[in-house]
Amino acid sequence: MELSIDRLTKHYGRKIAVDCVSTILKPGMYGLLGENGAGKTTLMRMLCAILEPTSGEVFLDGREVSAMGADYRDLLGYLPQDFGYYPNYSAREFLLYMAALKGIPRDQAKKRVKELLEVVDLGSVETKKLRTFSGGMKQRVGIAQALLNHPQILILDEPTAGLDPKERVRFRNLISDYANDRIVILSTHIVSDIEAIADEVLLMRKGKLVSRGTVSELTKQAAGKVWELAVSPAEAARWQEKVAVANLRHEGEQVILRILSDNRPAEAAVCCEATLEDLYLQSFRE
Amino acid sequence: MELFRLEHKKLWRKNTTRICVLLCFVYCVVFGSFLMYQWGTFGSRKDNMDGRNFDGYENIRKCQAYFSKYGELTDETLQEWVRDYQCLTAALKKEKETQGSENRETLQTYQNAGWETVNSMLRTLYPELEQEEMRYVMIMSCYVDPDKLTGLYERREKALHTFLDVSGQTGGEREYLLQINEKVQEPFSWKWVEGWSNVLGNLVSGLGIVIALFLAIVLSGLFAGEWHDNTSPLILTAKNGWRKLAVAKILTGLSFALELFAVVAVGTVVLQLVYLGTEGWDMPVQTIKMIAIAPMNMLQAEIYEFAFTMLGAVGFAGVVMLFSACCKNHVLALLLSLAVVFVPTAIHNNVPVRLAKALDLLPLVGSGADIFRTNTFHLFGHYIWSPYLLIWVPVLLGILSLPPAVRGWARRMRV
Repeated sequence: MELSIDRLTKHYGRKIAVDCVSTILKPGMYGLLGENGAGKTTLMRMLCAILEPTSGEVFLDGREVSAMGADYRDLLGYLPQDFGYYPNYSAREFLLYMAALKGIPRDQAKKRVKELLEVVDLGSVETKKLRTFSGGMKQRVGIAQALLNHPQILILDEPTAGLDPKERVRFRNLISDYANDRIVILSTHIVSDIEAIADEVLLMRKGKLVSRGTVSELTKQAAGKVWELAVSPAEAARWQEKVAVANLRHEGEQVILRILSDNRPAEAAVCCEATLEDLYLQSFRE
Repeated sequence: MELFRLEHKKLWRKNTTRICVLLCFVYCVVFGSFLMYQWGTFGSRKDNMDGRNFDGYENIRKCQAYFSKYGELTDETLQEWVRDYQCLTAALKKEKETQGSENRETLQTYQNAGWETVNSMLRTLYPELEQEEMRYVMIMSCYVDPDKLTGLYERREKALHTFLDVSGQTGGEREYLLQINEKVQEPFSWKWVEGWSNVLGNLVSGLGIVIALFLAIVLSGLFAGEWHDNTSPLILTAKNGWRKLAVAKILTGLSFALELFAVVAVGTVVLQLVYLGTEGWDMPVQTIKMIAIAPMNMLQAEIYEFAFTMLGAVGFAGVVMLFSACCKNHVLALLLSLAVVFVPTAIHNNVPVRLAKALDLLPLVGSGADIFRTNTFHLFGHYIWSPYLLIWVPVLLGILSLPPAVRGWARRMRV
C-alpha cells in the first residue's frame, strides 16, 4: 500500500495553507509536526478527501482518492481536531451510529464497539451520555470511532489533546501496534508523543514540508547546536533575551539554560545531545 | 435501513423532539379536544349563563337524544323542529313570568336543541322570512312561521345558484360546480349536527397549523444540526457518507411527520369516539352548510380533512428539510420554515384572490374545510374544485423539495 501525495496545494483566497507538498507514505507511523497554522490540519483534511485541493492530487496505489469515493472511505479512519459528537448519545450508541455510517453490519458493529470501548477504557461508562464526559473521555470516544472499521489509513489530528499522561501512554501503545501494516498519520504539539512512536516525522512550516526523516535522522540536524550553560539567576534573564533558550531549570544556586545556537554561545557552554523538541524549537525559532 | 433506524432513534432521543411532541399532543388533544368536548364548547351553560359546566359528556348525550326523533331533514321535520323550539321558548317565558325564573330542565332542553345550525339553515334558505325589526333576535327560529318553511331542497338549489351568481361563478365554472352538487343525495339524514360541525369546522381543520409549528422546530435541525454538532468531517469520511445519510434523514423526517400526525390524529379520534360516538356519521355535510356542494357525508369529510392534514404535514416536512439542508444555521432554517406557513396565513386576506388561492396550495396553508366552499382553480382550460388540488399539491411540493435538499446538503458538505 502506498499513499502518494503529489504537489498538493490549498489556497484560501491569497493565503497559502498548503504549498505544493509532495511525498510518499508507506505502512508505518508518521508524525506530523508543525506550529499552529503550518497547514497540518488542511493537509490531513485533503488526505481524507473532505477538502478539495486547489491543485495537486493524492493517490492510493495509483488511484486518485477522490475518484475512489466510498472505496477509499472504507479504508479510512479519521479523528478530526474538533471532534463533533451527539451530546444525547451514550458512548456505545454513538459508536454504533458511526459503525452504521461506516457500513459495518449490526452484529459485527456490536462486537467491535464493545471491544473498542474496553481498549479506550470506557467500558464502565458506555451507557453514560456523551455530554457528561470529560474532554479526555470524549477524545477517547473519537479515537474509538476512528478505529471502528479497522482502517488501513488512519489519520489522527491532535489525538492526545486532553488525555492525561496515563491515557497518552495507553494510546501510544495502541497506535504503535496498529501501525504495523497500516499507514498512520498523527499530528500533535506534544513532541514526546511523536518521539516515542513515530517511525518518521514530517516537519511542516508555512504550508511546506520542510523535513522528513526518522527521529534520529532529524535530531542529527540539530546535533552540535544544542548547549547547556550554567548561569546565575540574574544572568539567566539576560541570556534569554540574547539567545534561544529551549529549557531552563534551577540547580541549587544556579540556573541551567538549554540554548539553541549554531555556535558555542559561551566558553562555559557544554554541547549536549539534541532531541526532537530541540529541532522543533530550532526550526520554528522566529 | 440500519442507518435510518439509528437516525430515527437519534431524532427521538433529542429533548426538543420529545417536548415538541408532548406540547403538540397537549395542545391538540387535551386542550383542543378533551376540554372542548367536556367544557369549552359542549359543557352545559351555567345557571347565570356565565360560562359552562364541566359536563360535556352528559350534555352531548342529551343533545343527541333530543335530535334522535327527527331522522331525515324534510319540510315536515324542519317545521316540527321549529315548532318544538318555539314551544320551548314560550314555556321558558311563561315559567319566568309565573315562577320568576326558568325551570332548569326546560332551560337545558332549550339549550340542547342545537339552534345554531338550524338558524344558519333558515337564514340561507328562507332569507325573506328574516324580519328587519327582529334582527336583534339572533335566533330566527324564535319567530319564523313554521308553516312557511316549505320546499327545502328546491330552496337549497336556489340558494346555491344565487350564491354562485353573487360570487361571479358563471359559465363553465358554474356548470362544473353544479355537476359536483348533483351527486349530493337527498333527502338528508338529520341528527345532532353541532358535534360534527365542530369536528369538521374547527378541530380537524385547525390541526395543521399546530403540527406545522412543531414540525418546523423539530425538523429544521435535522440537517442543519450536523453543523452545530460539528460532525460533518466524521460523516464525510465514513463509507456510507453524506448521500446515504441524507436518504436516511429524509426518511426520518417523513416518518416523523407521519408519527406526529398519528399522535395527534389518534388522540383526537379516540376522544371523538368517546364523546360523540359514531352517531350522525352518515349525515351529509350540507347539514352543516346548506350550500356546500361536496357529495360527502360526515365520515368522508373527516377522512378528507385528516388526509389533507397528513399529506400537508408530509409536504411541509419536505420543505423544512430543504431549508435545513441548505442552511448551516438551524435558527435560520426554522425561521424560513415557519415563514412558509405563517406569512401566507397572515397576509392571506390582504392579497388579491388569485394570489390567496395560490398561497393556499403551500403545505398546511390552505384548509381542509374548503370542502364546504365552492372555490375552483382554472388550469389548462379545466376547472378543478379546490379540495382536489389542495390535498395533492402540498405533498407534491414537499416531495419535489427532497432532491434539492439532498443536492443542497451535498453542496454544503463539500468544503
